[in-house]
Amino acid sequence: DEIGLIPCPEARYNRSPIVLVENKLGVESWCVKFLLPYVHNKLLLYRQRKQWLNKDELIDITCTLLLLNPDFTTAWNVRKELILSGTLNPLKDLHLGKLALTKFPKSPETWIHRRWVLQQLIQENSLPTVVNKGNLGAAPVERIHRLVQEEMNVCSEAAGRYPSNYNAWSHRIWVLQHVGKLTVKVLLDELTSTKYWVSMHVSDHSGFHYRQFLLKSLIGRTVNDDNTLVRNQMVNEQNPSLQKEEEGQGAEAPGVEEWNVDISRYLEEELDLCTDLIDTYPGHETLWCHSDETFHNSHPSPATSHMAQAMDVDGLNESSSKQGYTQETKRLKRAPMQDSFGPEMEYRFVDKVLSTCRDVDQARFATAYRKWLVSFLGQ
Amino acid sequence: MHIGGEVDVRSAYCAAAVASLTNVLTPALFAGTAEWIARCQNWEGGIGGVPGMEAHGGYTFCGVAALVILKKEHLLNLRSLLHWVTGRQMRFEGGFQGRCNKLVDGCYSFWQAGLLPLLHRALHARGDAALSMARWMFDQSALQEYILLCCQCPAGGLLDKPGKSRDFYHTCYCLSGLAIAQHFGSGDLHHEVVLGVPENRLQPTHPVYNIAPEKVVKAVMHFLQQPVPGLEAAG
Repeated sequence: DEIGLIPCPEARYNRSPIVLVENKLGVESWCVKFLLPYVHNKLLLYRQRKQWLNKDELIDITCTLLLLNPDFTTAWNVRKELILSGTLNPLKDLHLGKLALTKFPKSPETWIHRRWVLQQLIQENSLPTVVNKGNLGAAPVERIHRLVQEEMNVCSEAAGRYPSNYNAWSHRIWVLQHVGKLTVKVLLDELTSTKYWVSMHVSDHSGFHYRQFLLKSLIGRTVNDDNTLVRNQMVNEQNPSLQKEEEGQGAEAPGVEEWNVDISRYLEEELDLCTDLIDTYPGHETLWCHSDETFHNSHPSPATSHMAQAMDVDGLNESSSKQGYTQETKRLKRAPMQDSFGPEMEYRFVDKVLSTCRDVDQARFATAYRKWLVSFLGQ
Repeated sequence: MHIGGEVDVRSAYCAAAVASLTNVLTPALFAGTAEWIARCQNWEGGIGGVPGMEAHGGYTFCGVAALVILKKEHLLNLRSLLHWVTGRQMRFEGGFQGRCNKLVDGCYSFWQAGLLPLLHRALHARGDAALSMARWMFDQSALQEYILLCCQCPAGGLLDKPGKSRDFYHTCYCLSGLAIAQHFGSGDLHHEVVLGVPENRLQPTHPVYNIAPEKVVKAVMHFLQQPVPGLEAAG
């Protein structure tokens, strides 16, 4: 479940450089300079049609190559061909990628290939007669859910291995958008499951940005047309046709108001989280940024709605998101916004920080936040 | 970025840069591109790789430069972008960070600082009267200090930050950033700020293409004289 390089400049004993302990694979460093050029060369010769390799050899060679250097696009592409021809199970590549990421948590090519594989799996899943390529005979919805969960785990691990891991968090967002379809359930689950992680990584801007993405998607999901509730509850793995959305429209109207109230609650909880973390860990710009933006979202004005609408993350086309604009602002204004986390509290919080903090950066962030509050609320 | 490869804002910039220099830029080729790039701007004010992603210096430069080429900079919220990029210059180091709460890196001397000439131009085109006629909206001297004092490898070449090893990428972008920091404006309205000895002065670089301005002119002139290929030729 993990790979690594064992620093070992010389081969002292006549034994294999491969070490397997408790399901963790180690490679002694001395052998890399022999192994890598050897497999690399073999693959290139195959690609140049100078030397044939059968599918098992290809699978082995690319696997070895990618564990040593996962940014070798050609090797991933060979595996794409094997998958498309039906000789390689795409799930194997998800596992290989996961392993590579334990040592190379940023590897762009690994993440890119992963998205390609997931797209293949989604397409397979949406076929009327699903071909079971080694999957358990679970229902399509269950399969999708498991895929999403696994991806969340992989992203979380990779994010923990490298600070502000842009590629890992971007992938996480992509999975929610394209595999998880941004259902309210998955958004709320993620909000819960990442809360502890971000509290342990208070300077990880990417982690907090992810929470902004979740909150904004929730706002978008619950305050948009009623259509979206249909999608949420059915967790439809196929792209819902426009007709289907229109059919469901009238029936779901009553549900909208209850979701509205919940949003205020989540934003309030987020502000509480920020406040706690800012108090506990002075001087982290990310926390203040996150606080700014969360507060911003809890007090939308027409000016800010433009930004929220511009952040349309679920890939709807331009015209439909612009149509949603006026409805969005109207509903946000109708939703009961609690005054308990209103401006008074924010001012009190900031002033308290300013009077008690000893950290120079903390004081600077607090002052800036105060200035911003004054100008923002003055509108 | 390549067939079957990743889609993000960098490829829009590459395409726009190449198409504009070679005179094959048509509205059809970039239909919808500007609007897509604008969707990559997020709540932070900067631009991410694709819509929804975290704001990032490299992607922001590519997005803004592409929009400048396509003449659609006004699709962005320039004010929040300005606020974001100016917040990325580090008060202690003088260099720029790529994203909020990250460390300084020499290459962002170009990706981030390079945004200010582009923004200056866009705001000037809108008739903004508050713009300086002598300086970009970042601390040019502080950036030069960071590059010259912290980003040079004694054996030659430039780097990310002290302790890192040199490479061509950092050499290119540290030098590009240095050029941006030394030269304001162009033609009649040209102010230079060269930190240290006069020998430190670099040639100016074109803020959109990051090649010498004369080369941009040469390229454009050259391709203007070529016949424009028809669509059939792209077999």
